[in-house]
Amino acid sequence: MRKRSVKMVGATREGDASQDGRAIVTRQLRKEFDDLVAVDDLDLTIGKGTLYGMIGPNGSGKTTTIKMLVGLLKPSSGTAEVLGERIPLKGRISDIGYMPQEMAIYTDLTVSENLQLFGSIYSMGQERLLERQEELLSMVDLSDRGDSLASQLSGGMKHRVSLACAMMHDPEVLFLDEPTVGVDPELRMGFWHHFDDLKARGRTVVITTHYMDEAVRCDIVGMMRQGKLIAEGSPRDLMDRSSTSNLEDAFMAFSKGVAE
Amino acid sequence: MKLKRVTAVARKTLRSLKHDRRTAGFLVLMPLFMIAIFGYTFGGELKDISVYVVNLDEGTVNGSASASMIDELQSRDVLRTLEPSWPDGYAQSVDSVVDNVRNGDAWAVIVFPQNFSSNVESAIDGPADYLSSIQGILWIYIDASNPNIASAIITEVQTTVQRVLLTQYDIASPVLISQDMVYGEDAEFIDFFAPGVMGLAAMMVTFMLSIISFVHERSTGTLDRLLTTPLTEGEIVAGYAVALGVVGLIQSLVILSTAILLFQVQIVGSALLVLLVVFLLGVGNQGLGFLLSSIAKNEFQAVQFMPLILFPSILLAGVFWPLEAVPDLLRPVSNFIPLTYAVEGCRSIMIRGWGLGEVWPEVTVLVCFAAAMLLLSTYGLRRRR
Ligand SMILES: Nc1ncnc2c1ncn2[C@@H]1O[C@H](COP(=O)(O)OP(=O)(O)OP(=O)(O)O)[C@@H](O)[C@H]1O
Ligand SMILES: [Mg+2]
Repeated sequence: MRKRSVKMVGATREGDASQDGRAIVTRQLRKEFDDLVAVDDLDLTIGKGTLYGMIGPNGSGKTTTIKMLVGLLKPSSGTAEVLGERIPLKGRISDIGYMPQEMAIYTDLTVSENLQLFGSIYSMGQERLLERQEELLSMVDLSDRGDSLASQLSGGMKHRVSLACAMMHDPEVLFLDEPTVGVDPELRMGFWHHFDDLKARGRTVVITTHYMDEAVRCDIVGMMRQGKLIAEGSPRDLMDRSSTSNLEDAFMAFSKGVAE
Repeated sequence: MKLKRVTAVARKTLRSLKHDRRTAGFLVLMPLFMIAIFGYTFGGELKDISVYVVNLDEGTVNGSASASMIDELQSRDVLRTLEPSWPDGYAQSVDSVVDNVRNGDAWAVIVFPQNFSSNVESAIDGPADYLSSIQGILWIYIDASNPNIASAIITEVQTTVQRVLLTQYDIASPVLISQDMVYGEDAEFIDFFAPGVMGLAAMMVTFMLSIISFVHERSTGTLDRLLTTPLTEGEIVAGYAVALGVVGLIQSLVILSTAILLFQVQIVGSALLVLLVVFLLGVGNQGLGFLLSSIAKNEFQAVQFMPLILFPSILLAGVFWPLEAVPDLLRPVSNFIPLTYAVEGCRSIMIRGWGLGEVWPEVTVLVCFAAAMLLLSTYGLRRRR
């Protein structure tokens, strides 16, 4: 009930984005910090069920874009819609999940308590909550560490807990800001299988990463530089257009303006 | 506002305290430590208080009543009796001895006048209130700048004199000592400050926990994370308020039981009402900590706020001395400190046995304080988005 009425409010002239297969739409989205332009009139469209990779050097505006989409930063100008609702989300806020770039977990709680906190915020029933907790602990390979205090985990393990927290309620749209930093290669592969799974179930996943081997696994890659999207497309397409054989070179080519 | 989400936040806050054994231990031990330190410092036996004894008593044929009283005073360790040194062996005016009190060398001068013994002997056959009808049968010149010491001296002299009168002269009549007693005996002083320490401890802990937790939530990004969930700002604030209110309650229980068991403090009124007052104070201070945490950018800055809030409360809220002792200039400040009302309320309930019918003004102030802080912190959090 609540969701529907909010959808109507969020709907725009161009129609309800949630019904036309678009999960995220930004229009001239802009964020300035004093005289620094972090995100520069960004126009972005991400379809439902897409695994979208955002790449770009440090400070190119990836985190700022995500923070605006999840409602933590107010855009300086421009608009955006997530699941058809204009940001900041209200009605559909339970349908998004966000893993911040910094390791935002409660280190003075155990791993399970962290998961349970996020589960109970979404009013998950006890049974569902425990089931989900088990699932996610095994996904991040921490099944035997559920009762450890988060402060006693290694850095990579903490990142894994943080990822699991964002996924507790199995949201429709997941924003993952560098989810694989500090995670060992084997487990990273495991994560990507899981992301593929999510996609197969129609979930939309927005991931930022500095690993090109990960970016290649995305459906669509958006290349950002100085707050602007300099190129976007499937990895194959991007390499073809820039006549390169990997995304790193492709990025260099696009940022020098060589391609297109 | 969904109750389930409020409890989720409250539970997580309490759980993290549970895991942090040192902090949890501190929460229980700090009030114990405070009450013990203050209890023994202010309420314990005072010893070796320097006083001069001037014995002008000429005695009677039967001997000297003052001599046996001085012996008795000296046999106990509360007072250290000093003999005035008379130059040339000549008894000078009492006033020159009192100079020792004026310049801080002694706390008091006890004067037995010339006719002390004869007064006592007349009392043996006299009416029961004979001694108490004589003005100035015994003089004490006292430095009352420290009410505890002053009252200890008077109590000591009074009880000693009466004991000697009773055992040696069989006189039960009270003696009139020309001195107004500001505070009662030791035990009564404990009764006076136990409610104060309780309020102070609850306030310190809720304020410190709140400001530190929130600065931490902000700096680690967990607060951001909570704000991207369906949790509303009000629910976050309410969850914390419940959790820290409970912490304040547990603390007060510890203090109350210590005060009762160790220091025989009496609670005349309702203990539940006392706890309600402390809970309101805790909730309000949680909100205050929350508000200030938005100004502090890191834990270090947060720590700097603590003395700013705590010092005036410790000094001006009537915790250790009555509000009447606060200088006029600072009295308006006292009226702005919520702890003032909590202490006053607890004191009235515990000592005077007042109920809600009498302490409603204090309770009302605290309810308003708590409500205002909660609303402001919710608003402050919302403005961030
Ligand atoms: N709160 C802030 N105040 C001022 N400037 C900010 C703030 N947050 C980000 N910036 C600036 O905005 C720009 C974009 O930052 P952002 O965090 O979005 O980059 P990013 O693409 O996520 O980089 P990284 O790969 O290092 O995570 C940077 O120049 C950064 O310094
Ligand atoms: Mg970033």
